[in-house]
Amino acid sequence: MSVIRVSLLALCFSCLAQSAPVSFNRDIRPIMADTCFRCHGPDKGSRMSGLRLDLREEAVRPSRNGKAPIVPGKPEESEIIGRIFATGAGKMPPDFAHKTLTDSQKQTIRRWVAEGAPYEGHWAYQPIRRPEIPGAGNPVDAFIDARLARDGLRALPEADRRTLLRRASFDLIGLPPTPEELAAFENDKAPDAWAKVVERLLISPHYAEKQAMHWLDAVRYADSTGFHGDNLWPAWPYRDYVLRAIRDNKPFDEFTREQLAGDLLPNGTLDAKIASAYNRMNRYSAEGGLQPKEYLAKYGADRVRTLSTAFLGSSMGCAECHDHKFDPFTSKDFYSMKAFFADIKETGLMPDRGESAFGSKLLLYRPGEKEKLDALTARAEAAKKDLDSAAKKLMAADPGWEKGVMEERERGALAWVWQKPVSAKSANGSVLKIYEDEQIDSAFYAAGSLKFERKRGDGLVVASGPVPDNDTYTVQIRPGDGAWTAIGVDLKQDESLPGARLARGADRFVLSEVEVDLNGQRLPLVLATANKAGEQVDGAAMAAIDGDLKTGWSGGLAEARNYMLALRFGQKIHTSADSVITIRLRQESVIRRAVIGRFRIALSGATYSWPELGDGKKQFDARKDDGPQATLNTDVDKGVAPEVPDALKVAADKRDEKQQKALLEFFEFYRPELQEALIRWTRADLEKTLLFWSIPRVVTTEATEPAVTRILPRADWMNETTEIVQPAIPAFLGKLDTGGRRATRLDLANWLVSKDNPLTARAYVNRVWREFFGIGLSKSLDDLGSQGEAPVHPELLDWLAFDFREHWDMKQLVRTIVMSKAYRRSSMSSPELDEKDPDNRLIARQSRFRVEAETVHDIALSVSGLLVDRFGGPPAKPVTPQGYLLAMNFPKRDYSESRGDDLYRRAVYTQWQRTFLHPELLNFDAPTREECTVNRVNSNTPLQALDLLNDPIFVEAARVFAQRAIKSGGKNPVDWAFREAEDRAPTVEEHKVLQGLYTDSLKQFRADRKGAEALLSVGESTHAGASAELAALTAVTRAILNLHETITRN
Amino acid sequence: MYKELNMTSTDICRRSFLRHGFGGLGMIALNSLLSPKAFAQSMTSKGVVNPLHHAAKAKRVIFLYQAGGPSHLETFDFKPQLAKLDGKPMPESLTKGQQIAQLQGKDLVCFGPQHKFRRFGKNGELICELFPQIGGIVDDLCIVRSMTTEQINHDPAHTIMNTGSIIPGRPSMGSWLLYGLGAEAENLPGFVVLVSSGKGGQMQPIAARQWSAGLLPSRFQGVKFNSIGDPVLYINNPPGVNQKLQQRSIEAVNALNRIEYGTLKDPEILTRVAQYELAFKMQASVPDLVDVSKEPKSVLEMYGANPGDGSYASNCLLARKLAERGVRFIQLYHRDWDHHNNVKGNMEFKAQETDRATAALITDLKQRGMLEDTLVIWGGEFGRTPMSQGGDGRDHHIKGFTYLMAGGGIKPGISYGSTDDFGYAAAENVVTVHDFHATMLHVLGIDHKRLSVKYQGLDARLTGISGDVVRDILV
Repeated sequence: MSVIRVSLLALCFSCLAQSAPVSFNRDIRPIMADTCFRCHGPDKGSRMSGLRLDLREEAVRPSRNGKAPIVPGKPEESEIIGRIFATGAGKMPPDFAHKTLTDSQKQTIRRWVAEGAPYEGHWAYQPIRRPEIPGAGNPVDAFIDARLARDGLRALPEADRRTLLRRASFDLIGLPPTPEELAAFENDKAPDAWAKVVERLLISPHYAEKQAMHWLDAVRYADSTGFHGDNLWPAWPYRDYVLRAIRDNKPFDEFTREQLAGDLLPNGTLDAKIASAYNRMNRYSAEGGLQPKEYLAKYGADRVRTLSTAFLGSSMGCAECHDHKFDPFTSKDFYSMKAFFADIKETGLMPDRGESAFGSKLLLYRPGEKEKLDALTARAEAAKKDLDSAAKKLMAADPGWEKGVMEERERGALAWVWQKPVSAKSANGSVLKIYEDEQIDSAFYAAGSLKFERKRGDGLVVASGPVPDNDTYTVQIRPGDGAWTAIGVDLKQDESLPGARLARGADRFVLSEVEVDLNGQRLPLVLATANKAGEQVDGAAMAAIDGDLKTGWSGGLAEARNYMLALRFGQKIHTSADSVITIRLRQESVIRRAVIGRFRIALSGATYSWPELGDGKKQFDARKDDGPQATLNTDVDKGVAPEVPDALKVAADKRDEKQQKALLEFFEFYRPELQEALIRWTRADLEKTLLFWSIPRVVTTEATEPAVTRILPRADWMNETTEIVQPAIPAFLGKLDTGGRRATRLDLANWLVSKDNPLTARAYVNRVWREFFGIGLSKSLDDLGSQGEAPVHPELLDWLAFDFREHWDMKQLVRTIVMSKAYRRSSMSSPELDEKDPDNRLIARQSRFRVEAETVHDIALSVSGLLVDRFGGPPAKPVTPQGYLLAMNFPKRDYSESRGDDLYRRAVYTQWQRTFLHPELLNFDAPTREECTVNRVNSNTPLQALDLLNDPIFVEAARVFAQRAIKSGGKNPVDWAFREAEDRAPTVEEHKVLQGLYTDSLKQFRADRKGAEALLSVGESTHAGASAELAALTAVTRAILNLHETITRN
Repeated sequence: MYKELNMTSTDICRRSFLRHGFGGLGMIALNSLLSPKAFAQSMTSKGVVNPLHHAAKAKRVIFLYQAGGPSHLETFDFKPQLAKLDGKPMPESLTKGQQIAQLQGKDLVCFGPQHKFRRFGKNGELICELFPQIGGIVDDLCIVRSMTTEQINHDPAHTIMNTGSIIPGRPSMGSWLLYGLGAEAENLPGFVVLVSSGKGGQMQPIAARQWSAGLLPSRFQGVKFNSIGDPVLYINNPPGVNQKLQQRSIEAVNALNRIEYGTLKDPEILTRVAQYELAFKMQASVPDLVDVSKEPKSVLEMYGANPGDGSYASNCLLARKLAERGVRFIQLYHRDWDHHNNVKGNMEFKAQETDRATAALITDLKQRGMLEDTLVIWGGEFGRTPMSQGGDGRDHHIKGFTYLMAGGGIKPGISYGSTDDFGYAAAENVVTVHDFHATMLHVLGIDHKRLSVKYQGLDARLTGISGDVVRDILV
């Protein structure tokens, strides 16, 4: 082989042997796309001199000066040849383009013109034909071997069985094989040993847990909305749909139809409706002051970008503003594609809290649940009706109540009496301090701005010190002589509290249960009422007195205000000078650290005081610095609902609906005659509410009257004068035949998986190929257009695409690939291959690369034995450093990791928070999924080293791994551990390194027992006790988990 | 192997070279890595713009990012006419058909400046009297009074100001700089983010997207330093593991990795070895670096910094230390400039928190001879309306607002551009986000049209498809 040939190959595989004719697609288009089409291509907006080189009929037509850019067969007469070889003025490409042609590129263009300048349509847009297979056996090998033979390259032999099994296990299920699995494979001498391994892995549920990640990247699945507040939303049932579809090998055409149009399918299944959440995976904003039309435009454009990249392998994004510069996608195509999605019911400002949060949702009832909910709802509604009619009757009979309540209020008869606790104790190590006369700083939102205040505490209890996951605060008060109907718990917001400014962690507070004793005797509490702030999903006030620690009163989404809870005694209680009231605030939520930070206790002797302190502004402006136990002498502190005084100022027949409702609600609370009916309703309502919010749900697609879709030049969403478009596929790819009916998402889905569309199968196959060789057949996974790379093995790509499209069998595609000899080759390179094919495009060998972020996590958990094997379910929240979410707001929040099993799930289940992705995922290059991603990068950074070394999850994994090694490793736990992780025994040299680390660590931990204990106490999984030996072995297993070999697929 | 990107011909990230941590801590020649000693001496790296497109005036950037959208009308853009029209309707000719945020559907009423302005410096620049320290160094500043942006809500406005695009996934400007210029810092990330907050305003969220490497490899991402917990995530050893054992463990990992390299000859393994060495060095140096308590008292005083308070002032001081160590791009976020209410009172808070430290940083850099090659930028994601919101606040505004620039390659003691009499729209010498980015890249020796990465078939750039260098403000 000549030297020239070798260097050409190394530079560019599309370069050809001197003898073969020049191919436009292979040789010319890439050059022109890079250097010419920006000014002489499809975009008329940036075309210069009216010259267009991407179409032959344009390129051969003489221009104004009579010269033709290209004269087929006559390079010397062709303007472009003169220009590209010119050196002075008129040189092409011009200097300002900052593009240069190499000599060989110029020569290639000249030869092409000399050969008659034949054009070809762009490869990816041509119909897929089944190419002739150039040999017997697995078609993958036939194509690859033919190419290797042509290029005179020798393929490497099959890798050893250990490498093979690790490769297939990492690639197919994302977990390392156990030594037992390896032994079985090594001892299986049957000719179908490999096939058996492949089948075992393909039918494993773990297969879906690995393969889903790529699809989830493409459809940008995430557990949060992405814009601004980036609040968590119910999307995980869609993720589980994808997992099931892959596990069960749902045909790809069905998979496509269900996701794009599951809601439109005649007789669509529940699964299909869940699948339609695909259309809702774009980012959504709930930022106040957004312009709804602008965001509807953003959501629509996002859907077009995602569809074109995920299904068409094409980048239509630039056509949002102008015709594509290099490919035949027009702006009209972009907006016509957007029009397919114009029927999705949504709002520009997408609420992120309350029952209307995230728009259309699908409740996923378990058997019998729907009926039960209906019954509970009916019961609650009936109770409410009874209550309302009794109240209205009473109100009508007693018109004087209005005046009466205002008089009471003015007198202060309804006001809460603030108590100075005599003691406040924490069960779990929080430091509770009572501020009475002492000054305390507070920072709180009032009227939209953060205010600062330093004033005496007046009985404020402040928690500080360690932040336990759960706690019980026991507070005692001595109210002195009095008679009381209710006790109040007032939670004070403060900027120092990360959990919605109310709790010491998490994103909300949860008060599981409140218990009150008088002189050691439990007082029955019959009614719990919260001010309006307590309307969050699971926040029913009655849950604080329902005797169930699993339910609670919670809040946090009604931000920047104080929450207050009023608890009504069964009957009026009487206290004297030596009476002690004990209040236990039990905080046992599964949500860690949702423990309250600042609160006051109050009593009321009135019938009845509303739990209301008004908003912070009034409080701040009006509060006076009175003496201890004094009532706060302001309007809002007088124990009526804040809407009441204003509503009462309006004549009864002039009150609007809102005012009438507020008055009725207050009246029902206020009148003793109505207590029984009120309690009946609140109890029924609690039961209904708890069931309702326990039902899993998923955002879904709901079709409505399609919105008008216009072409928006330069994406100007304010323009309302431009052309209106109907749903249509890109014009150059054909036309949907709907007989004049408006085309739907279902029509689009059908076209995507039809024989008329050459792109979807090619794009999918190309992406799947990358998973098994590290690089696509065309390396540009996101762009099969003219700027992308033409495939290295075009016939192979087309054969796979054709075959895939025949059956849409996702697993069969993977099976074909991994059963090939090419897949099984050794990854050891050779000087010859390094030189001729450094990027391994011809696949004379296998590739070697670090596993993906999720697999890095899963390997450590799996090898250590920590991994909890459970398929699907709500997002898992592994340990994350405290404070990680503190730059977020609305609500202000901190991370609250899962409990128990959910700490140790596979990373595909990790809660995907778009604006602050879990650091472990981010460090190892997982995408944030704010935008469709089909091409994860793979880097190697010191942050990855720090993560594997110091992240508590890896430290815990090392500890548990060491525990296992001691138990199972016999006399040589070090070597045993190495074998568990690497599926091979360490070499003598390796053993020496590990043993040396063990010896040194042991010495150190023997001298530092506390250090050993500290290391071994990381994590919550079962401990085997602390010893210097275990700590030293943990140092060893930690080193093993950090090895390049451990996280590299070979 | 997963190829990192379809990079252009400038791509030097070939497998036959070593790929490195932060901002390509380096393209270190292979043989230097084989000897740990040689490695230790060559931690810095070059970027893809090598040589530079033209001579650079600045080597690094400190971006004092005032998040939330500071009012230009109470800082650096004095509008006496607006004061006169206080309470009168805004002319509809200005506002008709323009984007508007929370004032949608509301009456648009002129709202005069809420604080007095004074003249500062040799040109008598008018600056709000709440900012006398910044006023005191105005002769070192270039005041750009004609900035504009396209996005009127915080989230997308942050995204475009940092990445030049509203579509997530584009590299942030710091990542572009690292990619283009490489890193100079030893044992430190090349792109550091610091966050502080203060009093007043709504503490609007910021997203990690704002310092993301986007489509570039994650080694180019900004690394957030924290004032709570580990200063850098996972920088501290696990409990019970002291520095000696950590070192011993890393040595063992690297020894085993080198053994593997001996068999496989895969250079990626040596990169891994280098990253572990670098990680260990960071562990040793970062905690010490972020501790500003050892700075002389006079310096602490100058900035108004209390060590450990995580304040803007402490972060300004830390920024100077990071700049000294060669960090390429240092971005300080100070939050809660979002003054929909009480712009008057809240501005006083912001002034207390930032005036002294901002001026101190520039003065300190100048005294150390570093201002010459450090570009300092002050500004947020947008400005605020000349119309009142709720009688005492201002809404988001994108048609005209102010940026300050100082140092490396920027003319000192000038102002550039202006808004109309209402402070509504940039009227003269309009500067877009892309113009601003182009200018920033220019002083660093980069032609913004030539720093690109192939992405989805296109040459992705920080400046999208537009952007002109603002030549009038260059030295």
